[in-house]
Amino acid sequence: MLGVARRMLRRQDLAEDAVQECFVLLWRKAHQFDAERGQAKAWIYTILRNRCLTLLRNAHPETALDPAEAEEASDDAILEIAYNRLERTHDLRICLESLDPHKRMAILSSYILGYSHGEIAGRMGAPLGSVKAWVRRGLLMLRECLS
Amino acid sequence: MTDRSLSERIDEVVLGLASEAELFEIEGLCAADAKVAAMLERARQRFLALDETADILPLPDGLWARVETSLTEAGPHADEIPATAQVIAFAPLQHRLKTWRLAALSGIAATFMLASVLGWSLVTAVDPTVIAVLLDDQGQPIAVVEGTQSNQTLITLLENARVPDDRVMQVWTKPQDDGSPVSLGLLSTARSLTLSVDGLPPPRADQLYEITFEPLGGSPTNLPTGPILAKGFAKTPVY
Repeated sequence: MLGVARRMLRRQDLAEDAVQECFVLLWRKAHQFDAERGQAKAWIYTILRNRCLTLLRNAHPETALDPAEAEEASDDAILEIAYNRLERTHDLRICLESLDPHKRMAILSSYILGYSHGEIAGRMGAPLGSVKAWVRRGLLMLRECLS
Repeated sequence: MTDRSLSERIDEVVLGLASEAELFEIEGLCAADAKVAAMLERARQRFLALDETADILPLPDGLWARVETSLTEAGPHADEIPATAQVIAFAPLQHRLKTWRLAALSGIAATFMLASVLGWSLVTAVDPTVIAVLLDDQGQPIAVVEGTQSNQTLITLLENARVPDDRVMQVWTKPQDDGSPVSLGLLSTARSLTLSVDGLPPPRADQLYEITFEPLGGSPTNLPTGPILAKGFAKTPVY
């Protein structure tokens, strides 16, 4: 769990805060716990990712994104490692592989790094409208491929 | 906004691209309609594998104490958040909520519950019907494999393997002695892990297990291609 948070927040202290807040929320919401483990797992990661996104969106850019404090690994490296760790035979990997690289990168940047449409556009040097279209089209293709 | 499909809006919630207002609206739809809630759940499941590609990092000392402090300071409002139709209530737990909440304030139960939540996120304890110790070519133990009737397999690595940068550990078994090896999955983060595979017969004594180094993403042929890190045959534990 800490790994997911650190990948998104890029800072150990913020990632620890997110995991801590996630555990508190889990405890408070324990009565909503679904008995089925697979679902509980997705649910817990959802709570964690939502905490991270809130921290990302609410953070002042100068504290959250200070390059001196942010950890070294580049966005591309993080996304590449994550993508390579998906098993080749996994449906999600197969379907992501079928997308063109722009769409794939836009989707991975938002899920793994927590980027907004605007941040993806800035990072990829592309117009906002194009990024929105890539995401929309990519998600549609993924849904069709995975259904 | 009305021309956007519900599936697309749900996907954007899962990716984290939705605005707060949009998130709130989708949550409302989920609470009102179990079908929408099921769509959201399916969308989450589609991307779950990406969360599992993150490094498994040890939690820092003192985190439990910080969580306990937060719970105690915030007071007993565990049930302020209403259960929604999105989640099927776990009835027995709900019934015991009051007792549990009191226990939580003592701190001990909170630690217990959170530790168990953490437990499965790293390695799920299994009730093995077979156990294999995998040895390298020097006869050194590298990993312990515990397999259950339902083909959940817990791989416990006994030392940090030196995995080349462009390789990943892949776990294999041979359900039939004269058949092909079948992949049980990747140890992408080079840590101990529980792997689940559907459609295999229950594991049996003398079944072969092995770990090989494969290209990133796993063997391109879906059969072992790389050097063998360790292998061993399963035994049935005596209880």
